[in-house]
Amino acid sequence: MPESIVEMRHITKRFPGIVANDDINLSIHKGEIFALLGENGAGKSTLMSMLFGMYEPDEGELIVRGKKVNITSPAEAVALEIGMVHQHFKLVSNYTVTENIIMGREPLRRLLGILPYIDRKGAELKVQALCDRYGFDLNPRAVIEDLGVSQQQRVEILKMLYREAEILIFDEPTAMLTPQETARLLDIIRKLRDDGKTVILITHKLEEIKQVADRCAVLNRGRLIDVFDVASTSTRLMAAKMVGREIDFEVDKTAPVFGEVILDVSQLTVLDAQKVAMVKDVSFTVHAGEVFAVAGVAGNGQVELADTLAGLLAAKEGSISFKGENITRASVRKRTVEGLAYIPEDRHGVGLILDFPVSDNLASKAYFRPPFAKGPFLQQFAFRQYADTLIERYDIRCSKGALTPVRSMSGGNQQKLIVAREIDADGDLVIFVQPTRGLDIGATMGIRQRIIAERDKGKAVLLISLELDEVLSCADTIGVLYDGRMTKIAPANELSRNEVGEYMMGVQR
Amino acid sequence: MSGRGHTRTRTHAAVSGTRQTPGTSAASLPLRILRYGRTQPLLISAIAVLLALVAISLVIIAVGKNPLQVFHSLLQGSGIVPKPRYAAGKAMITDFLGLLDAMTPMLFAALAVAIAFKAGLFNIGVSGQMLCAGFLATIIVGYSGLGALMAKPLVILVGLLVGAALGAFVGVLKARWNIHEVVSTIMLNYIIQYVVSFFIKSSYIDPVSRSSRAISSDARLTLMNVPLGDLSTRIPLCFLLAVAVAVLLYLLLMKTRLGFELRAVGANRKAAQYSGVKSSRTLVTAMVLSGACAGLAGVTYYLGYFNTIEPGNLTSVGFDSIAVALLGNSNPVACILSSLLVSVLTFGSTYMSSAAGISEYIASLIVGIVLLFCACSGFLQYLINRDRSRGRTLHNVAEGEGRDDGEGEGDGEAPEAGEGDGKTPEAGEAS
Repeated sequence: MPESIVEMRHITKRFPGIVANDDINLSIHKGEIFALLGENGAGKSTLMSMLFGMYEPDEGELIVRGKKVNITSPAEAVALEIGMVHQHFKLVSNYTVTENIIMGREPLRRLLGILPYIDRKGAELKVQALCDRYGFDLNPRAVIEDLGVSQQQRVEILKMLYREAEILIFDEPTAMLTPQETARLLDIIRKLRDDGKTVILITHKLEEIKQVADRCAVLNRGRLIDVFDVASTSTRLMAAKMVGREIDFEVDKTAPVFGEVILDVSQLTVLDAQKVAMVKDVSFTVHAGEVFAVAGVAGNGQVELADTLAGLLAAKEGSISFKGENITRASVRKRTVEGLAYIPEDRHGVGLILDFPVSDNLASKAYFRPPFAKGPFLQQFAFRQYADTLIERYDIRCSKGALTPVRSMSGGNQQKLIVAREIDADGDLVIFVQPTRGLDIGATMGIRQRIIAERDKGKAVLLISLELDEVLSCADTIGVLYDGRMTKIAPANELSRNEVGEYMMGVQR
Repeated sequence: MSGRGHTRTRTHAAVSGTRQTPGTSAASLPLRILRYGRTQPLLISAIAVLLALVAISLVIIAVGKNPLQVFHSLLQGSGIVPKPRYAAGKAMITDFLGLLDAMTPMLFAALAVAIAFKAGLFNIGVSGQMLCAGFLATIIVGYSGLGALMAKPLVILVGLLVGAALGAFVGVLKARWNIHEVVSTIMLNYIIQYVVSFFIKSSYIDPVSRSSRAISSDARLTLMNVPLGDLSTRIPLCFLLAVAVAVLLYLLLMKTRLGFELRAVGANRKAAQYSGVKSSRTLVTAMVLSGACAGLAGVTYYLGYFNTIEPGNLTSVGFDSIAVALLGNSNPVACILSSLLVSVLTFGSTYMSSAAGISEYIASLIVGIVLLFCACSGFLQYLINRDRSRGRTLHNVAEGEGRDDGEGEGDGEAPEAGEGDGKTPEAGEAS
């Protein structure tokens, strides 16, 4: 019987209206990689947040290293050598790597034995030593905002290691990473285990669990469904346990029937607010009935490309033609009316007005014309009626119907709302950017099927995604963006997964 | 958001059996009433006022007076409750008309702040806009000797246009060059204050009062010494105009395309742009409306409530109006009530200080405390909603999916809602 380092007994946590964790009993062994699998909302993060002191359980007890503990704050968790890497990093972006790591635990020295100052040099050496030990390629003096996502994540990991954490919790660590970065992170996690640390990995990605985890617990709607050895369990079985039913991973797709050219982008160059070129000389076409998928690592110009097509950013050079008409300088409104639909990456910041009700959000691109407006006046009744129709048709779940504030809805339903608005506008081109980010398997498959359905209706679809799986499963044509350039365009069936991955990393030029 | 009973549930292919969702909420009944979305702003404002009154009472008790008597005399001074005796030609009604006269500019100023708030702009320069509009109306119309029928509408027109122009200037700075409106309006306040002061002192000074020369009574928007039976009263001509503007602004915001665009830009400028709203134009429009209201506040203040301008000063009305608008939750109609309340405090305080024997300083302290608590209404809201936002991500599961009957959490796609904008419980707790 291996030594158990964390034990949870009858842990129950309630939030208003829901039991987040229901009588959970878990034992995590010292030195293992323990995965916590479940869909969004299954209670994984809540459970681990209790271990990290962000919540206190309503019932049950926590036992760490054989001793019953009462963890009421993250500081106490740190004292128990527990560390956590959150899904959204908690770093000060204009501080250096070292400053972020030592923050709250600054090593002090005294000048002339009196004046205290922070021993930056010593800290940097210590951070460098940790980097060397775990093979992190990281400059301790680099400023956070200059670092990529995966490097920032390493800073978070170093933060835990600097505090000598023995129990490391990773909350959805690969959500923002490319396949290659994910592979490297999993290596790091393995290395941490080999170093004697205990790792708890919260995820809903089965592949990762299969690759690194020793044991896995499945949560479904707050309840512990099962704990099993990963080596002896198939991915398919794990998926079934996770959602409580068999899931079909494949998107049903018939051969594409290309129609006329709907979108023709030619030599497009776009600058961002700092006058840095983010999209460089990009040309491609999308036909009716085609899914053109753009693959690429985050920050290679995807968002700028989509924003420019939608009219939110101005093109510096080049032209965009839509259904044969040059729309390079057209307003957002004109493009929308002409039939260009856009599902933006940033749902909360761009796609929705969170404080507005469902009805206003559903009509937010059509409020100015009949039936929503007569002259300058809004027709509230039309808003309500339209919302009721779309709520029904697209199965958007909102507690108070058309008047539900969007802020109170779940992420999946918010996304359904945006998709419903854009698809129901019945345009000729739909641009999807990261349409399934943060959604669980059920919702993800729903959206992907919707993408294919639009294609089959004869619409042109431009899909921009960081998820290689998504690109591969939906695309008819794949374009790869690297450093703002479209480095490869080819029919989907001519590119292998690895080839696309290599183009994404800029290996083949 | 709360209102647990109102859930309209759509059951969805239930997955593995049903599970009982607890109907019991951690929140007690009063807390749940407070959290009911639609009435919450009103309740929070009421609580802010109540808390302020409690705090004031403590101050009044500390100086050895009876708070109830103080409040009573405030109402007496405002003509809402009768005084024990009146001077010749005065009565409750004359006091009340005086109150409305003081309230008119306050309401206009509050509307100026509120309409800007709705579009996500903070017009902190209402006082300067008031002064500029008041000054120009004074020299253009106030000294012109025009007859009342010409002069009075002209005063209103000048106020409207000057305010709108100043608002447009600020709006264009913001929309075109992204110069923050707080900075530009504060700077404009100084510029207007000293430029106007210079012209008054050099050209329009009354050597006795050290203020600008009094305007002709034909140009004044308040009728003075109107005989009413055996009383002699002032009549604020623009009070009903202010109320009408409040109602019109409300209708504009809630029932028109422009209002929808304005609120959309205020709630999320990027999302509004994405929806095809020309956000720059909308911002300028909002500032024009705001400035126009401020201009009206200016002429009803300097050419109505008063008939001169004291050089070198900005009125506090423009600043108090920020809190008044907050207290009214930026709802133009609610601003009528909140400006009435604050006007009672300011207008009634003169009588209160003599009747209750408390110095004027305590009187302005009272106003200050009320405004302070109003300004804290955001914090009150936070307190009330606090443990709800702690459970926010999970709360969303309950919100979106079968809460009442607890079945059909179909594809439980919940917590992302909070995560995307960094409002995870972690974000709230760990920092």
